[in-house]
Amino acid sequence: MATTNTNEPIVHEDAQEQPQGSPAWGFAGFVLVLVLAWVVQVLTTNLPDWTEGTWFGQVSKSIEFPVYAIILGFAFNGILSLLGIRDRMSGGFRTEFFIKIGLVLLGAGVNVTVILDMGLPAVLQALLLIAVVFFFTWWFAGLIGLEPHLRALLASALSICGVSAAVAAAGAVHAKKEQLAYVAGLVIVFALPAIFLLPWLADLMGLSPIVTGAWIGGNIDTTAAVTAAGAVAGDEVLQYASIVKMIQNALIGFVAVALSIYFTLRVDRPAGVDAMKVTRSGWGEVWSRFPKFVLGFIAASLVVSMLAAAFPAALEDGAWLDNGMSAAKTLQTVFFTLAFVSIGLEFRFGALRDAGWKPVLVFFAGTIVNLLAGLALSSLLFGVLFP
Amino acid sequence: MSQANQSGEYVDVPPSNVEAPDAHGKFSLNEDWAATAVGLVILGLCLLQVIPDIKGLFL
Repeated sequence: MATTNTNEPIVHEDAQEQPQGSPAWGFAGFVLVLVLAWVVQVLTTNLPDWTEGTWFGQVSKSIEFPVYAIILGFAFNGILSLLGIRDRMSGGFRTEFFIKIGLVLLGAGVNVTVILDMGLPAVLQALLLIAVVFFFTWWFAGLIGLEPHLRALLASALSICGVSAAVAAAGAVHAKKEQLAYVAGLVIVFALPAIFLLPWLADLMGLSPIVTGAWIGGNIDTTAAVTAAGAVAGDEVLQYASIVKMIQNALIGFVAVALSIYFTLRVDRPAGVDAMKVTRSGWGEVWSRFPKFVLGFIAASLVVSMLAAAFPAALEDGAWLDNGMSAAKTLQTVFFTLAFVSIGLEFRFGALRDAGWKPVLVFFAGTIVNLLAGLALSSLLFGVLFP
Repeated sequence: MSQANQSGEYVDVPPSNVEAPDAHGKFSLNEDWAATAVGLVILGLCLLQVIPDIKGLFL
C-alpha cells in the first residue's frame, strides 16, 4: 500500500536487505576518500610540471580536478570490488553530503544580488523544463511498456535532480530498491559524459557564461555532476549553474507529493482510500522534501554580502574578510573533490544488469529532449528576456 | 496513464541483492540538515580566522 510518508528509505516488500558494513568500515571508506582527494590535488597541481616536454604536458595543463577525481574514484571502485570490500566501505562514500557542504561554502562567494537577479528566470526555466521533460519521459516510457513505478523514477530523475529526485520519488510511490538502484546507475552513466560534453558544446556555440550555467544547471541531472561541469567550465559558470540547479532541486517536494497522490489514487489504489486525506497529508512533504542546504547557500551568501557592504575595506587583499573568503573557497574545492571522488566510488555496475534496452532508450530520449528544451529555454530566458 | 505492452507485462528491473543508493542514511533529512550546519559552521570559523586558508597544504 502506498502512503505519503516518505522520510524513510522505502522499498518494495519483496526487497532483500543487503548486509551493511560496520562504522569502522565506513570510516575506512571516508579515509580512503580523503587520501584520494589529496592525490587528486597533487596530480592537478604537479602533473603539468612533471610531464612538461612530453605529449601529455600540454594536455595536463587543461585538465581540471574533477577529471582526476572521477577517474580515481572509478579505478578504486574496481579495485575495492575485486577485493570484495567496496560495499562494506560504502558508508564513507557520501557524494551528496560532501557536495551540499561545498555548495553552502560556494554561497559565500556569490553576491546575494546575483541570486535575486537569477531568481525569476531560474524558477520559470525550472517549471517549464520539469514539465516538458517529466511528461515526455512519462509518456514515452508508457508507450514502450515500462512498469509504472520505474516510469515515475525515470521521469523524476531526468526532469529534476537525478539520484536525489529518484530517491524522493521512490519513497513517494513505494518503488523497489532494484528500480531505484537501476535509475541511480543510469543517472551517473549519462551524467559522466555530460560533465565534459556540455562545457565543450557551450564553448563551441559561443554561449555566454550565464546561459552556459543555466543550460548546465537545467540539464545535467545530479547536483554533483552539475558542480563538476561548472568547475570544468569556470568559476562564473559554476555559480550560475549551481543557483539554477538548486532552484530546480527545491521543486522536488511538489513532484513527490503529486506522484504520491497519483500512485495512491490511481496505480496502487487500495479500497476505501480517502482522496482528501491523502492530499492533505501530502503537503507536509513539500517542506519535508525541500533541500535544506539551499537555505545554507542563501544564508552564506547573505552574511558575506552584508559583511562586504558594511566593511568594504575588509575585502582588500590580506584583510580579514578576504582571508576568510579565501579559506572558505579552498575548503569548498576540498569538499567538491571529496564529492567527485565519491561519484566514482559509489557507482554500482551491478545495478545496471538485466533490465534490457528499453529503460536505457527512455533515458536517452529524455536526455535529448532535456538538452534541446534546456538550450532553448536558457537561451531565451537568460540570453533574451532576462539578460 | 500507465499501460502494459502487447503481452500484458511491463518491462521492469529484475530482483537482485543490489544495495539501494539511500542505504547508510544517505539522502536522509538528517544528512541534509547536517550538511547545511557543517557548511555554515565551517564558513563562520573561516570568517573568524579560526580556520586558516589551507591552500598550499592540501592543494
